[in-house]
Amino acid sequence: MEGIRELAIYIGRRVLTSILVIFAAVIIVFLISHVLTSNPAALWAGPKAKPSTINYIIERYHLKDPLYIQFEYFTLNLLTGNLGLDPVTGKPIASEILFYFPNTLELVLSALLIIIIVGVGLGYIAAIKFGSKIDAAIRIFYTAAWASPIYLISVFFILAFSSWIPLFPSGGMYSSTIIPPRTITGIFVLDSLLNLDFSAFLDGLYHLVLPSVSLAFLNFGIITRISRNGILSVKWLPHVKLAKAKGLDEKYVNRYHILRNGLIESNTMIAVMFGWLITGTVVTEEIFSWPGVGRFAYEAITSDNYPVLIYIVILFTVFVIVANLIADILYAILDPRIRMGGE
Amino acid sequence: MNPLKKALGIIFSNGLSAAGFIIVISFIVITIAYSVIGNSMLPYNPYEVNLYETNMPPSPTHIFGTDNLGRDIFSRIIAALPIDIGMSLLIVAISALIGLFLGVIAGYFRGFIEEIIMRATDLFLAFPPLILPMAIAATLGPSLTNALISLVVVWWPPYVRLVRGNTLQISAQDFITMSKVLNTPFIRILIKGILPNIITTLLIYATMDVGTAMLELSTLGFLGIGIPVTTPELGMMASILSTNFFVYPLEGLIPSLFIFLIVMGFSLLGEGLAEIIDPNIRTHLISRRKRIEEMAKMKKYPVQG
Repeated sequence: MEGIRELAIYIGRRVLTSILVIFAAVIIVFLISHVLTSNPAALWAGPKAKPSTINYIIERYHLKDPLYIQFEYFTLNLLTGNLGLDPVTGKPIASEILFYFPNTLELVLSALLIIIIVGVGLGYIAAIKFGSKIDAAIRIFYTAAWASPIYLISVFFILAFSSWIPLFPSGGMYSSTIIPPRTITGIFVLDSLLNLDFSAFLDGLYHLVLPSVSLAFLNFGIITRISRNGILSVKWLPHVKLAKAKGLDEKYVNRYHILRNGLIESNTMIAVMFGWLITGTVVTEEIFSWPGVGRFAYEAITSDNYPVLIYIVILFTVFVIVANLIADILYAILDPRIRMGGE
Repeated sequence: MNPLKKALGIIFSNGLSAAGFIIVISFIVITIAYSVIGNSMLPYNPYEVNLYETNMPPSPTHIFGTDNLGRDIFSRIIAALPIDIGMSLLIVAISALIGLFLGVIAGYFRGFIEEIIMRATDLFLAFPPLILPMAIAATLGPSLTNALISLVVVWWPPYVRLVRGNTLQISAQDFITMSKVLNTPFIRILIKGILPNIITTLLIYATMDVGTAMLELSTLGFLGIGIPVTTPELGMMASILSTNFFVYPLEGLIPSLFIFLIVMGFSLLGEGLAEIIDPNIRTHLISRRKRIEEMAKMKKYPVQG
């Protein structure tokens, strides 16, 4: 019983601090978008805007009012989701972002899955084979992957597996022949599965392979490195020696005595990973013409669509803070030492 | 032994750092040479548009070919080095100084001021990398200074954490307590006691970080924000990939390969240095194994089942 109470207190505290952090982040974005520039109206309307558009923007975002009123409207708009019209498409920004967001989520989550499997797997192999040629090869591999610019990898994957060896489609989220399934979650792969539309499901997966692999490829390195070091730091501890001395099977010891204890640190990295992945989507989605928020952000940048950019910045930040919160809570449920305030 | 020789000896004692060091030094030499000599050392003017020779494939006259405006890609890559490497070094150096300043204050003086510094650090860490710089760079408009500012804003927090953590550890040690008891002035404790003990870790982290900073900077360039359009910048040169990579993939791939090479150089150098010096990796593990064995002999270390 004691444990559950501790857990509830921990979760409550984490939720409260997360809300505070989100609020502070909104203040920072507000300062950047309203105070850092001498002429917010011109910025929000874009350089080629007509006077009528500028007037609409000034009125819509209350850019001529005192700062505290501007801030009040800014936060109120965010809370009510009433973000105004996209100056480029003329549709409400909030519904556009909500429409694209599940696709980004699909990409990020599948990349995360690949990162966890490949990253931890390689780190485990490298640590078990510590000092061998395999270890050296894995270390060079992950350093190289970590050092690659994101566009290099995405383009290389398209050239290699779509252009030279035509295995996968070079872009898009599903084939034009597929009728998109009824929206339940907004995530294409999940929706098609829930609608029992297996051809759409397979087609979705097929289109998901290249973008998610290239997004994962850039980011698995850090997980490999941390799990390798983590496993190395338990590999020679006495309890492992004892387990081996007892005559336990080598594989059993590796799996239950070394791997489990060695992975604690990489768990915390997974939350940080969300930030890297969501940043990566801006370039990856553009190159793979994936209809997500990242691509929407890219287009907003190229078309000087400032309001959309600012709201996407806030969305991404909130998403990463919430993902961190969820990861921390899961972590606290799994590892009692965290919520008890231990190290 | 003189310190330079000693440093080189350390670097070359490890394959990773040796490889990284050679890559980094060669690029830095080219960078310095170009900054001193200027365009006359290049086969072509990197800014000169030549509409008769657009999208040329690599050939003896243009080693890496020309881009969509007929500019020589090789010359542009050399001209981009001072911007890419120089700016990344600046971003890291400024962030490291901010981190040193705030981190030492937080770690040494503790209390209320530490709370404020660390909460601010956490707040800036909450932003996904590159997302806030995108907003700042878009707000300030394209210029190299603005790109620099926008990246530094998100770059300093890890340094504060690193320095504060190390300062906490060092300050808890007896020799610092003794110095305090002896009423040594803070500046002296800082210079003689704290700095020498935290600088190594800081430098290693910074070395690895230069590469990451360059990746972020070039991604800003790729997205076309913060960096002026005509500037030769590797990421911006690579951004041509998004329009013509099925037709002329080399035009964007060659600059991205150079980014890869430089970033790899810095990461290898840092990784190797960390392996040699940082107590958390390799050497420590081996010595730690010995220590644990000794402790086990003395029965001070409880053996768990």
